Parts: sequence; C-alpha cells; structure tokens
Amino acid sequence: METLNFDYPVSGKVPHRAQVGVVGSGDLEILLEPSPDPQAHVRIRTSVEGFGTTWKAVLDQFFARYPAAAAIEINDFGATPGTVALRLGQAAEVSKS
Amino acid sequence: MNPSETFELSPEVVALGTRRSYIELGARDRARQLLDPGTFRELLGPFDRLESPWLPMQGIVPQSDDGCVVAKGAIGGKPAVAIALEGKFQGGSIGEVCGMKIATALHLARTDNEKGITTGAVLSVESGGVRLQEANMGELVLAEIYAEIVALRLHAPVIAVVAGMTGAFGGMSLATALCSHVVMTRQARLSMNGPEVIELEAGVEELDARDKPFIWSLCGGAQRFATGFADRLVEDDAAQVSAAVVDLLRQGVPEVFRTSMIDLFLSRLAALDTGRQWTPGDIRETWAKGGAR
Amino acid sequence: MSPTQEAMKPAAAQGRSWCTRREGKLRRLALVEPWMTGKILPRSRIVEALEALLLPGDKVVVESCQKQADFLSRSLAKVDPKKIHDLHIIIHAIARPDHIALFEEGIARKLDFSFAGPQSLRVAQLVEDGQVEIGAIHTYVEISARLFVDLIPNAVLVCAEMADREGNLYTGANTEDTPANIEAAGFRDGLVIVQVNEIVDKLPRVDIPGGWVDVIVEADRPFAKEPIQTRDPRDIKELQILTAMMVIRGIYERHQVTSLNHGVGFDTAAVELLLPTYGASLGLKGKICRNWILNPQPTLIPAIESGWVESVHSFGNEDGMEKYIAARPDIFFTGRDGTLRSNRVYCQLAGHYAVDLFIGSTLQIDGDGNTSTVTRGRIAGFGGAPNLGSDAHGRRHSSPAWLSMITGDSPEAHGRKLVVQIVETYKAGGVPVFVETLDAVEVGRMAHLPVAPIMVYGEDVTHIVTEQGIAYLYKADGLEERRAAVSAVAGVTPVGLRGSAKRTAELRGRGIVAFPEDIGVRPADANRSLLAARSMQDLATWSGGLYEPPARFRSW
Repeated sequence: METLNFDYPVSGKVPHRAQVGVVGSGDLEILLEPSPDPQAHVRIRTSVEGFGTTWKAVLDQFFARYPAAAAIEINDFGATPGTVALRLGQAAEVSKS
Repeated sequence: MNPSETFELSPEVVALGTRRSYIELGARDRARQLLDPGTFRELLGPFDRLESPWLPMQGIVPQSDDGCVVAKGAIGGKPAVAIALEGKFQGGSIGEVCGMKIATALHLARTDNEKGITTGAVLSVESGGVRLQEANMGELVLAEIYAEIVALRLHAPVIAVVAGMTGAFGGMSLATALCSHVVMTRQARLSMNGPEVIELEAGVEELDARDKPFIWSLCGGAQRFATGFADRLVEDDAAQVSAAVVDLLRQGVPEVFRTSMIDLFLSRLAALDTGRQWTPGDIRETWAKGGAR
Repeated sequence: MSPTQEAMKPAAAQGRSWCTRREGKLRRLALVEPWMTGKILPRSRIVEALEALLLPGDKVVVESCQKQADFLSRSLAKVDPKKIHDLHIIIHAIARPDHIALFEEGIARKLDFSFAGPQSLRVAQLVEDGQVEIGAIHTYVEISARLFVDLIPNAVLVCAEMADREGNLYTGANTEDTPANIEAAGFRDGLVIVQVNEIVDKLPRVDIPGGWVDVIVEADRPFAKEPIQTRDPRDIKELQILTAMMVIRGIYERHQVTSLNHGVGFDTAAVELLLPTYGASLGLKGKICRNWILNPQPTLIPAIESGWVESVHSFGNEDGMEKYIAARPDIFFTGRDGTLRSNRVYCQLAGHYAVDLFIGSTLQIDGDGNTSTVTRGRIAGFGGAPNLGSDAHGRRHSSPAWLSMITGDSPEAHGRKLVVQIVETYKAGGVPVFVETLDAVEVGRMAHLPVAPIMVYGEDVTHIVTEQGIAYLYKADGLEERRAAVSAVAGVTPVGLRGSAKRTAELRGRGIVAFPEDIGVRPADANRSLLAARSMQDLATWSGGLYEPPARFRSW
C-alpha cells in the first residue's frame, strides 16, 4: 500500500461534504470536505504502488475543472485513471447538490 | 428509465423499467432503502473515519466505514436499526471494527427495548464470514454478534436480508440463521461453507465450484425458501424487499425460533438415508412436507 | 515438333499426370475403405484412419473457430509422429490444448491461423522454443480466401451436428466456416473428414450434400463450442455506459448509422443495452441500428423486442439463444426447420462491404491510431477485426453514413466505412492502452514475421472513443493533426500528456475532438440504471423466457 499527498493552490468553495464509491476491486472511495485552509489537500492510499505521476496528472485535470479548496481522501483498490476521474467528478457533483 | 412505446412489451418487461434493483444498491443505499423515507441517521459514518487499524498494517487499503453501515431510523413508523454490510469491500468480511459496529448496534437496540421502546433490527447480510486478516478478532466479535441477536430477538424481530451477489457465508451465515426471520432473493446464497472450500476439501467430483446452477440449487434463495431455511423469497425489487421487512416486523416476535426446533431438524437428519445420493429436489419434497413452522 | 503440338499430345505421351490429386485421394481412401460402411467410419478406427489418410507435409484444415472439431483434433494429436509429421495446419482459432500438442509432438510444423485467444501464451512459447513455423497471422475470412489460392488443403477436419446414412450433413446454428472449408477440399480432391454428434435417418435440413463428403465418424461427445460473444450485463461498468452514451450521440446519431457490426466486448454490449433507454430518449428508434452483422448475442434482445432491429446476420451461434431465434424468424436468418443459419464467410463479406460501421475494442493504440491485440509474451492474432475494421475500397453504393465521411469537395471524393476503436485509456494494473510504439512491432520481430501484426491500421480508423471523449480522426488534416487528435482523448497516458490544453481546445473548437459536454453527454448520468437489462435474468425476462442462459451465466 502506498500513501501519496498532493496540495493545490485553489480557493473555490466546497458547499457540502461528499462520500462516493466503495473500496472494491478496481474501484475507489472518495471523501471530500471543505479544506481547513485556502488550498486543496489530497491524501491517497492505494493498493498499486509506483503511479505517483499518474495520480498527479489526474488531479491536475480535476482541479483545473473544479478549483475548489477541498480536503480529499482517496482509498483506492486499483482503479484505472478513468474510473478515478469519474469518481472525482461524481464527488464534486454530490458536493454541489 | 422506461423504454419508450411500451405497447408491444410484456408487463414483466415494463416492470423491469420501473422497479428499482435492490442488488445493485451499495450498503449505504440499502440501509436507506430499508428505513422509512427521511428517518435514516447514520452512526459512525465515513467521516468519523472508524477504519480497521489492522488492514493498513498488512498493506491493504481500508474503507472509511470498514464495510459496515449502521443507521437508526424507523420501519413502518416504529423505531428500528438498519445494519448493512458492503459485500464489495473485502467480501463483506467481519473484522474488529465492522463486527463491533454490528454488535453494538444490536446491543443498543436491546437496551432500548429493555427501556420499553420496541426497536427491531434488520441486517442486510453480504458476507463471506470472518476477515482472515483479523481472524481472531473476527471470531470473537462474531460470538458477540450471535449473543446480541439471541438476546435481542426475544424483544423484537431481527430480520436478515440476504440478496446477493455476495450472499451469506461462514460465520455470518450462522448469524443469519439465528435471526427471527430470513428474507432472500433467488440470486442470494446462504451456506456455511463456500463452494471453493468444499471443492478444495472434498474434490471436484463432489462439488465443482464452477457449476453455478448446481451451487444455487443447493444454497440459493429458492432452495432455502423451499426447504424452510428462509421465510420469504422476493424478487430483486427494492420495494418488495422493504415490504417483506415491514410485514415481518409487524408480525412481531415469532412463537418459536427456527433455532429452537432442534428435534425437528435432528429427526430430519436421522431420517435421511445416507446410502443414496439425495438431490436438491428430493430435499424440497421431503422437508417441505414437514415445514419449518 | 512445335511447342503447341507438344502441348496437345496426350498426357501420358507428355510424361505428366494431370490427375495427381485425384489419384492420390483415391489411393488414400482405398486404405480405409475396408473399415467403412458407406461413408461411415467406426469411431474406434479414427487414429489409424488419420494415419492412413494423411501424408507428412499435408496441408490440413482443422475446423476451430467458435465451434471446434475437437474429436478429430484430439485424435490427430494421437497419431504416430513417425508416420505423420510436419503437417501444415490451417486453423481459424487455436483454442485447445490438443491444437498445441500437435506442434509439441512434431505431428505439425507449420501454422497459418487467425486467432489464438486463451492459447496466445502457448503459441508464443512454441515460437520461442522453435516448435512452430508461423506462415502468417490472418483475419478470419482471409484464411478462408487462401483455401482457394495458395493454402488449398489436402484434407479438412470439420464438424457437423448430424449426418444421414448418405453422408448429407446438417450443420445447424453453428454452420460457421464448414461450407467454405468443405468447398475448398471437396472440389479439388482434398479429403473431407467430418465428425458428427449423431447419425440419423432424416436431417432437419440438408446443409452439405453427401456427394461432397468422404469420411464421417460419430464423435465420442458433441463438438465443443464457446458462447464467445455472450456478455453478462452485471459486469458492465459506469465508464462503459459513459462511452456507450457518447457512441450513440456522437457517432450513431451524428452519422445516421443504420447498418453495423459490433465487435465482442462489454463496451459494445453497453451500447446495445442503452438503445431502448438512452437511444429512445433521443428519439432515435427507427433512425439508427436497423441492420446488424452480429452473432445472436443476448444483449441485443431488448433492442429487438423494442422494435429497433430489422435484421441480424450471424457468423456463428450463441448457446441458449436457440428458442428465441426460432421465435423471431423475421429478425434472424433461419432455415425452414426453424434453426439459425450462420455463415462466417458471408457474414464477414457483409461486414466488409455492406455495413456503415464497425466498432470494436483493442488492447493497444499508438499515436497514429494503429491498433493491436498482440502484446509481449502473447501471440493473440486478430480474428475478424482487420476485415471488419477496414475500409472497403471496392464499395460503390452509398448510404448517408458512408457519405458523411467525405471531407473536402474533390469531384472524385468517395465515402468510407466508419471504423471506430473504443477503449478505456488504461487497462487494469496501470497499463496504458495508448503507447508510443505497439508491442506488436517487437513481437513481430521476435517471431520473424515479415510485417508487424497490426490489427487495424490508423489510416482505416475514422473515430477513437475513450472515457475522455471522441476523436473524429477522419476529419484530421495531415499526420500532425491526427496525432494531436489521438493525444487529446488519450487521457493521462504518456501519449495523452504530450498534447497541450491549448491544442485540445482548438481541436474541440473545430469539431475534430469532442468531450462529453460538447455533445450533450453528462458523465454524472452514466449509471447502470440506464441499462435496459442489468443481469442475465433481465435478458431472459425481456425474451419472454425464450433465452436460456448457459450454465456459466446462471447465478440464481
């Protein structure tokens, strides 16, 4: 298991906290809450090691689209980047609704 | 979403478009479904972050709720607690945290009953049994769960819903069997030993774990209902599952628990001629005549 | 004497026989004739018979695609390699351990095939160990074509459901390649050896006349077959529903696709299951997806029942669909006896010339849009994709979809087949699908293949669909623009990351790339509840109980 941390200098508002997904094979769970400070923080625990650059690329694209100061926790069990992006989008939608 | 132009389609197909699948729901949505609308209040939810401390030590990614959702609310207007296991997280297996969530929820329901507030419980069971990575604690907490079910069921119904696709195996199959009532779908399975374990122990000639129709004929919902181990057989329809649970809660504590019918089950076993191969159909015929209640 | 006079002398006087194949066939058959009753050979004699009927170095077709003449291949694997060796095996799909055993035992030496599937690893090992010489990896119909040119068989080992005492054959729902295999041997003095499930007095219908058949043997068990295109809706994931929505909206609707072939996979199964729901919500029923080239796969049932489908022609059968097919003769190709008639060669021909679109998945795509399923350590082959997934330059008839592919206004402009590759940008385990160089290039080198085993060439690919969006490659002007379009939908793979946000925005502005929101598709809507059927049970319900899922799919 690998733990990765990322920070983003974004300051948009997070209306509600959100939880999506399940830590099933090929899937992931996301907990999204307002960040305590005007930045976004992401903590990832993943079962597949060595893909730090891929995670960063996915998060770069996500925060370019949703520049919100969110504290995000990801518990990942081998989801593909496409699935990660889908769940991040779902978490963002749930947090806005 | 409904297909347009339903005039050519059979009622069964139209129903497919309108019914809500219960099996497709995750644990949280199942607990929400089982409680009356608007009454769902989760205890120790994801944001409380009560995870397994043991899984990360073994390099396994935990889930924020340890694969178990506990919610307080109402069913049919009466107080109830809903407990749902997430079959997709580590096979719904029982570890220290999720086991204690179940045991404690049942315990709190019992103390409410003892104070005079009749509180039932419904368990959505999707579990392979004890979590091997937390083996000893899993066994211990299962013992607590059994004790709580046995104590609680004297006060109010404890209803197990086994819907699939994980089913109820291992130690959680026993917990299911201890409940006042068991609701199953056809897709669900209820069995102590898993097919793979049986094949490993007894050989593929005895049981081929890949032979799905055979497996379901032994321990699938239809067979369990027909032989008296399940009390209701429902379609994969959230409304039907809820209706069955509401109805069973309304019926109250049964006069006799299945687990107390020791003479009945012992005599059934004694009457089995082990000299010949019995088929699932034989068992249905022979045991249904007696009936479980 | 002049050359002309020389040529007109009787053959014997010239010193050359023009009947070597016929004479050879009669000699071989004479060896087994004492064991036969009419055309029927007793099962117990099969290994000896094969040793008598074949000669070292023979070209032998072993029937194996969806159905497999497995009794004959298992028996062939038992012949004495000292008597029968160095056979040249021609086979559509290497599916069985006994196929591999032929090479391990030295019974066979050369191999021409199309698809390896579960045996792809073993084939790669055989190559590495020098136990097989691959002639070429083909597309399915290409092998069938060469049976009439330079791979003309000395013998074909085929399978059929039933034979009667005159040797007529009933091939039934799994007719597949049998007519073509038998035609190539039967009319050029090759041996036609058939295993049947049973010998009966009267056939439901005559698919092959007995006059074309030489030896029939009743097998030890019914021939093997695989429901290779059947997919369980339970395994369809949200990402596949998202891409399916994009396909329906951004390709089928936009280009008015009325005739098509779906390659095997969950991606395409999701499209089929979204027609009665999402497709209907767009008002597309009757406007798209009317005529199909497709095995009778159960995931098409909801679209058929909802009135989308006019016709389906099939390569083979899918087990469990027999009763449904018999009840829907307006849709499927069936004989008067009510059973399906499949025919791979005709179906592939139709998929080449007569459809608007092919859509299929693949394992790797390079920056230019070339695709391949051949990856390191495995030689998987191509199946039907190269044929279905290529433009038919000989096509002359038009359709709205075909014409919609015209870019520019040259007076000699012509349309194209839509060839769509649909993939997720990554496979499980962090393996990118988009790569700079296909593994196929290296594998081809190691296996000493004359050209790299590419499945679909970039120049034929008109669209790429990923979870990121659609690249309308046919609109790209020049190689650089094509590469930029591929990159724009390649997500965070290295190929995807070499693109720039600015270039992607520009391509989106010009309609060469579309993200979901550009075509009105919301990822948030990609939900399994959109599927018309979500389980095999649902499909059975849709069919009114006529579809009987095979055992491996029965979880209730």
